[in-house]
Amino acid sequence: MAVERNENPCLCYQCAKCSTGCPVSEEMDLLPHQIIHLLALGMEEKALRSKTIWMCAGCYTCAVRCPNDIDITSVMDDLRGKAAAAGVECPCPQVLKFHQNFIRDFARRGRVHEARMMGEYNMRIGKPFQNASLGPKMLLKGRLHLLPPKAIRGFKRWMKKLWR
Amino acid sequence: MAMKSKMALYPGCSLEGSASGFWESLEGVLGALDVPCETLRDWSCCGATSAHALDKDLHLALNLRNLTLVQEQGYEEVMAPCAACYHRLASAAHELNGDAVLRDRINQAAGLQYGGEVVVRNVLDFLFNDVGVERIAKRVTAPLAGLKAACYYGCLNTRVPRMDCFDDREYPMSMDHIVGALGVEALDWSYKTDCCGASLFLTAESASSRLVSKILRDAEAQGADCIVVACPMCHNNLDTKQAEIRAEHGIGRAIPIVFVTQLMGLAYGLGERELKLAHSFVPFQFAGK
Repeated sequence: MAVERNENPCLCYQCAKCSTGCPVSEEMDLLPHQIIHLLALGMEEKALRSKTIWMCAGCYTCAVRCPNDIDITSVMDDLRGKAAAAGVECPCPQVLKFHQNFIRDFARRGRVHEARMMGEYNMRIGKPFQNASLGPKMLLKGRLHLLPPKAIRGFKRWMKKLWR
Repeated sequence: MAMKSKMALYPGCSLEGSASGFWESLEGVLGALDVPCETLRDWSCCGATSAHALDKDLHLALNLRNLTLVQEQGYEEVMAPCAACYHRLASAAHELNGDAVLRDRINQAAGLQYGGEVVVRNVLDFLFNDVGVERIAKRVTAPLAGLKAACYYGCLNTRVPRMDCFDDREYPMSMDHIVGALGVEALDWSYKTDCCGASLFLTAESASSRLVSKILRDAEAQGADCIVVACPMCHNNLDTKQAEIRAEHGIGRAIPIVFVTQLMGLAYGLGERELKLAHSFVPFQFAGK
């Protein structure tokens, strides 16, 4: 589906409040206010290649604090979607694979099957034993179900119209 | 005074699986308070952190489907106890309800007819503003006096962009007042609305464990007996690998993580089994002080 950007990066006056409050700024190659600056300058390609858009945790701290009301978190979403759709090489492939795998999981039945979602994600990133001790412990506590949730009638077909 | 049920409950995937303790305790508590609760039928996933991360229209369509169900099944409001489901439903409803052109476009893509009138409610908002502290306190049979709690709201309960928030975004108090009504001492602390890392827990472990360690460290420093949450993702991230994270970051004391409705259930005399307290990795016990 088409991705449109509703946010105007030219409203930004570079106060960097987004970057100072960002909980994951130290994981980023470009700071959030630098991403917005790139967009205002028409240098979107550099933003699309950044690690920043993939490390954003989606906490919305920047979005609700921005004095110019730019929803920076949603800008990150738009850039991520654009980068993925355009096949830009992803500096954090685990994050991309996690989201794709998650969507693929609930697309089957309409609801997430947590045990399968986590197992398949591990396989897709080539780390079958990541968090291996967690799964069995959660199963024992009754927090994970081996059987999938009941499928929502018609959901799979409905979802095919929306997601390739 | 029984309330007319104009609100449907939306459980969400986690509350049917890894966070079933949140769901069961909520049902128990609403029952104890004589609040009628009906569950939305045929609901589907809200898209969680993943749909909006890659495709905004997919995020809108998924939530429009659920909002349409709320409308078709004759409810005016929907309450999603999970903070992530709440955020997705509320942010989508905020955009779709206020923009007829956008609504038409997503309705068309999804083959649905959502009219744009459903109100999405947060569980803390509902408990604090609709049920009210007085009524919450009145039902207490086993006060939790002596228990010190750090109320952790996380990101998604108070940060729906551009929408009026039911509480202060930076230093909310609704949960503090709710647990206060149970006899709990709610502590002043600095990490109420700091991020736990969300899905970075699975994709960028070191970043997520650093964020979790800061939250645990401050709760420990303030003398918290437990951290109270209203989000399955916060619960999972703070609880399941706490022992490893504490060892890595040198945090001395284990801190149990409980859902706000589990604490309410305890104060209402509901059983620990029913409340699924044993689901947590860090054991929580309150013998009274």
